[in-house]
Amino acid sequence: MRTVFTFSLMTLRMLFRRRTLWGILLVILLGLGGIASVPTFDVSNQGRFILDFGLFGIEVGALLLALGLAASLYPRDRETKTIMPLLAVPLSRGQYLMGRFFGAALVQAAALLVSCLGLMLILLFNGLPIPGNLLPATLLILVEGWFLLSTVFFFSFFASPPLNWPLTTMLFIVSQMSVAEFIGLMPSSPGLMRTLRLLLPHADVFHIKDPIAHGFEIEPLYFVVAVFYGLCYSAFMLSLALAVFRGRDLK
Amino acid sequence: MRASLLFAAALLAISGCVEDYDVAEVAPGEHLDEEHHHEEGDYCEECHDDHDHDHAHADEEGVHHSGDATPSGHSHDAGVRNHGTQWFFNQPWAARFIWGKLARDGAMFLLLAGIIFFLSGRRRRR
Repeated sequence: MRTVFTFSLMTLRMLFRRRTLWGILLVILLGLGGIASVPTFDVSNQGRFILDFGLFGIEVGALLLALGLAASLYPRDRETKTIMPLLAVPLSRGQYLMGRFFGAALVQAAALLVSCLGLMLILLFNGLPIPGNLLPATLLILVEGWFLLSTVFFFSFFASPPLNWPLTTMLFIVSQMSVAEFIGLMPSSPGLMRTLRLLLPHADVFHIKDPIAHGFEIEPLYFVVAVFYGLCYSAFMLSLALAVFRGRDLK
Repeated sequence: MRASLLFAAALLAISGCVEDYDVAEVAPGEHLDEEHHHEEGDYCEECHDDHDHDHAHADEEGVHHSGDATPSGHSHDAGVRNHGTQWFFNQPWAARFIWGKLARDGAMFLLLAGIIFFLSGRRRRR
């Protein structure tokens, strides 16, 4: 465990040195700033609009962060051959994957927290109240981001970064769909589509921007269940990634 | 690897084929029903409203509610579902009856993760 912790700190420092992280964070904050600068025209409930679009922006930011942080980690390690000495003695393949994942997950958490604080500032500047569930809502988006991160790692072991981006984005889009919408993509094969949909996560579990924007209270138990579901699915994707990684010949 | 993937897919299919948790598909009748339902043109005792024309509800003092207007032009008191808001309440956070299924699916994924981890490690040691 200590080895994984040390390696994840190394990954964290390496990712903070990269410009990709700062670029994506800047894009998220600029997006939030753009939402805040939309004129209200004295429309009531402007806060709903800012919250709804702000949380959507953070969610898209989570996707961009997952891709920007993790899509090139393993391919670059392999290209520069740094993976060879790492795996030769100090690290097992599982420890390498977990170290890289936890490092990227911590960076993603920090970036999403900054985005959430940015959204809070925007609400304050507009004289709007900050909902109590805003931080838990960001936590759920973060869990979704970790699921996306594990998916990016899974694809990165057999796909190049340019292919990883569309694959993960496609998974992100279809996991937002309900079963009926997913079957609608190929109505001629409802059985096949239903079975395929079973394998995909239900990303709507992580979305609570509608109730927050409309002032609904959410039971704490829901957060526990949703976080548990997201973490378990991430573990499932990571185990698949590890299975692929263990089967790879690195020579 | 192939065996573990097949095993994972089979387990998922077995667990999920019974029903999926699209709320609209598995919700009990009382969840899907709006607070009360009436057709366009019907007279609604509770709303005191002939739905052929749009108007806002007035309270006892004759003050009109300023809440969100629904397609039929009126809104109900706080806590009472308005017409046409089913999509809102068909989200997982509002559908308590699927939380158990979510937890079950989570546990299933965790179990699968453990099995895949074990099988892939065993294969590698060979």
